[in-house]
Amino acid sequence: MALLTEGRIIPLIAFILTWVATYIAIGMGKEGKIKIRRIAGLDAIEEVIGRSVEMGRPVFDIIGMGQFTDIYATQTIAGLSILSYVSGLCAKLGAKLYAPQARVDVMPVAIEVVRDAYRVEGKLDEIDVDEQLPYLSGTQFAWASGIIGMAARMKPAGNIMIGPFWAESMMFAETFDRVGAMQVGGTARTYQIPFFAALCDYVLIGEEIFAAGAYVSGDPQQIGSIAAQDWFKFAAIGLSILGALLASVGVNIIAELLSR
Amino acid sequence: MDYRRDIPLAITFLIGIIAVLDYYTGVQVITDTFTLIKNWGVVIQGFALGLGAVNLLRVHGKRISQRSGGTDWMFSGWLLLMMAMFIVVGLGTGQYDAGPTYSWIYNAIYLPLGATMYSSLAFYMAYGSYKVLRARNFDAALLFITAVLVIMGNTPALAATFPGLFYTREWIFGPIVSGAYRGIRIGIGMGAVVLGIRTLLGMETGYLGRR
Repeated sequence: MALLTEGRIIPLIAFILTWVATYIAIGMGKEGKIKIRRIAGLDAIEEVIGRSVEMGRPVFDIIGMGQFTDIYATQTIAGLSILSYVSGLCAKLGAKLYAPQARVDVMPVAIEVVRDAYRVEGKLDEIDVDEQLPYLSGTQFAWASGIIGMAARMKPAGNIMIGPFWAESMMFAETFDRVGAMQVGGTARTYQIPFFAALCDYVLIGEEIFAAGAYVSGDPQQIGSIAAQDWFKFAAIGLSILGALLASVGVNIIAELLSR
Repeated sequence: MDYRRDIPLAITFLIGIIAVLDYYTGVQVITDTFTLIKNWGVVIQGFALGLGAVNLLRVHGKRISQRSGGTDWMFSGWLLLMMAMFIVVGLGTGQYDAGPTYSWIYNAIYLPLGATMYSSLAFYMAYGSYKVLRARNFDAALLFITAVLVIMGNTPALAATFPGLFYTREWIFGPIVSGAYRGIRIGIGMGAVVLGIRTLLGMETGYLGRR
């Protein structure tokens, strides 16, 4: 039996190279050599929560319907990182947070994340997780109608949606827009990005949500690791151009190499 | 040492490495170990489902007992009644979700409601389109023209009468949309891999709370 799975040798090499690049980028970040561009959507989160406090209305943080065991787990982790940041700000500034849940495996983690944030601010008694992080449903449209109903009744001043979303993305964005909420939306589900772009005030497109946790942490090491993403994007662009040029003259070496 | 932070990080690293090795290698012991871990995950999820049911009972039980939220407590009562009915019918017949009564309730009540919500998307999309497709500046005007061309290319009668509309739509979807779409996909792929590595290294700790 082969030690390495056929067809995954080049992906393994790419994975190892990414790991090494991430280490190097972390080191460079620690030395302060890496600067990243501002992400307007993440900078706006504090404004969303401040607005909620001023208006005396709640703020929603929806992390989507992803699980830890599906291919959208990374988006769920990104959503939880933002939930941690948002709940910290809500506890600090005094905004009432609602984060309705759809997945029973993610829900206990979300509850702990929020409780930790309130504990750090010394305001654990100000959060009622049963009411503010309710489990609505594990099925898409029951969950969606639950959130739409909550939004229509509570008229939140802000809504932050970062994580994996499906058809419900349009329903949420439109409902929260109608009740006058300031919205920040972000997902790596490409079919849903246009819906957020249509109705949210700020949008995080694709990869930006994965950088969100590191970005809001403000930790130079974590911010440094984001640079590794860009290095590999440049490599991908280079390979794409080279592959297209070579394929145009009948040489398919790049495509054959990547399929190994 | 902060056990509340370091033990979850160690477990994440260990299981993450096993998952990575399972994907790239064909070593039987690793495959068996990862299968066992996935089975544990299924069992833990089963317990978590109970947690969801308990949360529903607590939240809605409290609402009913306090008659809070105007008339909302009535909906809470309806929710608990339906939940109890599904449990009784599912477990009582011994056939769980394969029983005819359970299937009937699901197909006759739940599915039409879900389909109704799904079909309402058409109205949400119309509202979204109205908000986006207003030619307020040059970029919005370009978007508007592109959208009109795609809509006309998607309309069978128009595309059949003027085949050029169909080919224009194909051209927009091909060289223009595919190019942008693949760029976003590559970025998403790289972002997910780097986030995974950060999680394995214990640097992405947002999901652990602020510890």
